[in-house]
Amino acid sequence: MTETLTTAAAAGAVDATKIYGEGDSEVRALDGVTVSFEASRFTAIMGPSGSGKSTLMHCLAGLDSLTQGAVYIGDTQLATLNDKELTILRRTAVGFIFQAYNLVPTLNAYENITLPLLLGGAAGDQEWIDKVIDTVGLRDRLKHRPSELSGGQQQRVAVARALASKPTIIFADEPTGNLDSHAGAEILAFMRRAVTDLGQTIVMVTHDPNAASYADRVIFLADGKVVDEMVAPTADLVLDRMKRFGD
Amino acid sequence: MFKLALKGILARKGRLLLTSLAVILGTSFLAGTYIFSDTLTKSFNDLFADVFEDTDAYVRSSVVIDGDFGSEERQRIPDSLSAEVAEVPGVRTADPSVFGFARVVGKDGKPVGSDGNGPPTFGSSISPDEAFWTIDDGRLPSGSAEVALDAAVADDAGYEIGDTVKVVAQGGSREFTLVGIAMYGDVSSPGGATFALFDLPTAQSFVGRPGFIDAVVVTGDGSLSDDELADRIQAALPADSQTETLTGAEITKENQSSIEEGLSFFTIFLTAFSFIAMGVACFVIYNVFSITAAQRQRENALLRAVGAHRGQITRAMLLESVVVGVIGSLLGLIAGVGVSIALKSFLGVIGIDFPSTSLQLLPRTVVLTVVLGTVVTVLSAVLPALRTGRVSPLAAMRESAVEHVGSSRKRILSGLIFGAVGVVAIIAALAGPSFVLLGVGVLLVWVGVLILGPVLALVAAKVIGTPVARAFKVTGRMAQGNAARNPKRTSRAAAPVLIGVALVTAVALLAATLKAQVREIFSEQFVGDYVVKTNDFTGFGGLSPDLADQLNEIPEVESAAGIGVKLAEVDGRGATVTLVDPVTVGEVFDLHLTGGSYADLSNESMMVSDKKSSDDDLNIGDVLTVNLTGLGELPLTIVGTYSSDELAGGYVVNRGLYADTSGSYFDFSVFINTASGVSASQAQAAMEPLVEQYGSGELQSRSEYIDDQAASINTLLALIYGLLALSIIIAAVGIVITLLLSVYERRREIALLRAVGMTRGQVRSTVRWESVITSMLGAVLGVVLGLFSGYLLVLSLRDEGVTVFSVPVLSTIVILAVAFFVGVIAAVIPARRATKVDIIEAIATT
Repeated sequence: MTETLTTAAAAGAVDATKIYGEGDSEVRALDGVTVSFEASRFTAIMGPSGSGKSTLMHCLAGLDSLTQGAVYIGDTQLATLNDKELTILRRTAVGFIFQAYNLVPTLNAYENITLPLLLGGAAGDQEWIDKVIDTVGLRDRLKHRPSELSGGQQQRVAVARALASKPTIIFADEPTGNLDSHAGAEILAFMRRAVTDLGQTIVMVTHDPNAASYADRVIFLADGKVVDEMVAPTADLVLDRMKRFGD
Repeated sequence: MFKLALKGILARKGRLLLTSLAVILGTSFLAGTYIFSDTLTKSFNDLFADVFEDTDAYVRSSVVIDGDFGSEERQRIPDSLSAEVAEVPGVRTADPSVFGFARVVGKDGKPVGSDGNGPPTFGSSISPDEAFWTIDDGRLPSGSAEVALDAAVADDAGYEIGDTVKVVAQGGSREFTLVGIAMYGDVSSPGGATFALFDLPTAQSFVGRPGFIDAVVVTGDGSLSDDELADRIQAALPADSQTETLTGAEITKENQSSIEEGLSFFTIFLTAFSFIAMGVACFVIYNVFSITAAQRQRENALLRAVGAHRGQITRAMLLESVVVGVIGSLLGLIAGVGVSIALKSFLGVIGIDFPSTSLQLLPRTVVLTVVLGTVVTVLSAVLPALRTGRVSPLAAMRESAVEHVGSSRKRILSGLIFGAVGVVAIIAALAGPSFVLLGVGVLLVWVGVLILGPVLALVAAKVIGTPVARAFKVTGRMAQGNAARNPKRTSRAAAPVLIGVALVTAVALLAATLKAQVREIFSEQFVGDYVVKTNDFTGFGGLSPDLADQLNEIPEVESAAGIGVKLAEVDGRGATVTLVDPVTVGEVFDLHLTGGSYADLSNESMMVSDKKSSDDDLNIGDVLTVNLTGLGELPLTIVGTYSSDELAGGYVVNRGLYADTSGSYFDFSVFINTASGVSASQAQAAMEPLVEQYGSGELQSRSEYIDDQAASINTLLALIYGLLALSIIIAAVGIVITLLLSVYERRREIALLRAVGMTRGQVRSTVRWESVITSMLGAVLGVVLGLFSGYLLVLSLRDEGVTVFSVPVLSTIVILAVAFFVGVIAAVIPARRATKVDIIEAIATT
């Protein structure tokens, strides 16, 4: 254990550096980021375009690898895993909510929710799955294909899927980016309940101050570095902080 | 717009190549067939031009008997004619020439070369002038104990000068000393035929008839033109000599065109299969264009939104198809050169040596391949191009490539209508047999099935996909879903498999039926115990009639019946007659006599089948004029009739007719009944030495013989399977292309699955099972259609004497298994591509 990670951390990065390109065209997407995400907390990552927030999330989730430094999910340092082990880690310990294309069109809602479990061949915790389905209010839509669901409903299925395997941590990448404000608020409310009521850990990348206000803590990134953080954010406070990036 | 389209094409070279692949495969075999047959024709033309270069005139009998299937047999002429020809002013040399059947026996005691359908085996005289043959090593044979061999057969059998060589011919089986190795023009053996060469008297007594020759080969002294020389020779010969004199040019041309005719069957056969391959490729091309049109929907919609009109979008796609067609055909042409070389070396492996000539790529081949390839490609692209022109500018907003299945009720209805009309046509065709109507009917049913394809694809995804989904859980379930999500695409990818499998199945069914039929016929009509068999049913070669006589003399044999076949003219019409020994034939064959007895068969009489008897209104006591080579026209009285004509054919005559005549006669097989109380091993031990002495036959027991006869269909079958495999390969490539495009289209989805924990193995499994479902859809429908079509084919052959029906169970299982593995193998590359999808690029950066 590295001292910068508290015992309650679900995931974290130590001196995470990601460099794209070489020489003159070198881009430091992440420049020595050290951060830790506590369990059962809802953390938002914010920053202007190109600040490295998506890259940080991809590296934390094992979708991309660092040039330097280390990332952890629980106690596992991701760099030590091969592709198959990483895949299984994503299946069992990580949940994902993307902005769009979250669902497999050939599978119905229930199959999509249990997809990580199906892939692992595990039955999963049925009681937990029922609880998740009821939390997101999809009980009467389980047999529907994604094409038969509204955008908001599809995103709720995505949230349910992220929760289904009781992962160590859930990463959400602009989960409300494609939704109208009402459906967006609904999704954020579900995510909030998943943390408060179900004890899950969520890290969300967003550029929407209103979305960030649902989080317990906001981390601000700029030019690949952590520049600030805010506990118990409100939309106005976040907006003010964001405005200062322009200066 | 034109520039834009070209830019678009060039920007996607990978896809261009992928689309061209189907065109390349479709055209390469066609081009290869043409290059190969042109090369072959050219090389034989050169060969005969070379061989007959010094021949100015050619004298032979004008009496020729044309049998069935364009075969002919020419009478021999007295050898005294050559002296008369030599006397004609203007003639420098007049070489008597003899040729006929002879087979060289190898050092292992087995005859060299194949009998039956392979290249012929000849015995011939070799002229001291070396007119056709030139001695390459050693010297000319002289006297009754010397032989020269063509370089190919000597090399094949490993004979060297000084060796003792056994040769089998009409005169029996004899041993000679090899004194020379000869070349025919510049080749070791023309067309793979084998030659044993003797001096004239030996050739006459051993392969021909003493006192007779086949032709006189004349060279002039240069004082006359070839035409004048030929005219003068013909005028000098007695009017009743029944001869004709050809010029050197005429005999060259005749040999060239007869080879060309012989090759034309082969060429037509190959061409037919290359057109089938082309048709299959059509489906693949059509599918590829349909998919790419769907995938480019957004791009095209954007063009529409910024002001391109429909025609421009459609024309851009057609332009692309022209480029693909031309590039694909040109590459196909290049591949065709490879195909022709492969064909040539394949024939080389089975022992057919061709004169060496550079490959003939005629302008006709280039034009035909490129035009046909391009036209087919453009036609296949017309529908997708029109459809893509109809894309609405708003479609740019939509996200994925969706192909809409046209109103499936309309589809089901039109599919059923086609099918129903087809069935009606078939029933009508079977009621009053009409092959054309039957063909149209079968075609309509096939079209109906292809129209119903997308609907059937959904059903198949359910039926075939369910066990897959059960066995492979989530990956199987998703493969099932993927196969069903674009039923049009799936059915179009399966269609080539369907066509290939249906053809293979129909052929397999026909073969199984014919085999069963052959078995039944032989089991019923052949009642003997053993057979010495050859596969020579042309009457040109076979077993010396002495073998049957000698077999009859050993005590273990009750009776041995030599049976021969000959070309003949019966009442002026070409026919095949069967020659039997009236004393023994009844012991081994049951032809189900319906009138007379074998004993009545003398040198003045014959028997006819019941079918002939009723067709031509022939009765016992009627006289037919039968013209057999070497015998001339004979009036033969009908003394008997028989009902089983499958083996004996329409006419049966006494084989004793040939004793002491100038005509050649061979038994194609000797059928044997062993004496009672003699064990199989005793009988075999007694007969083997005799059979071996004669060299060219093979001793088989009754059951071996019947198995062997049934298996003879396998050779043809293997050839047809080999050619149809080409269609299956194209079908597999079609699945590969379809899956590659689907994988490309679904990369976001694959990325999502990878992100949420699908392993690479699971990704591969999903693609693999989708591929298997697709190929099995084609295979199952193909088997059903193939059995159906094959059954109809058998039904329509009822009048030709096919009375049984046999379903090829094993073949069908093998075909389905092959289709399964085609699915698995076709998925390899697309599956690998699917695992290489970059997760972040495909999904996370939206």
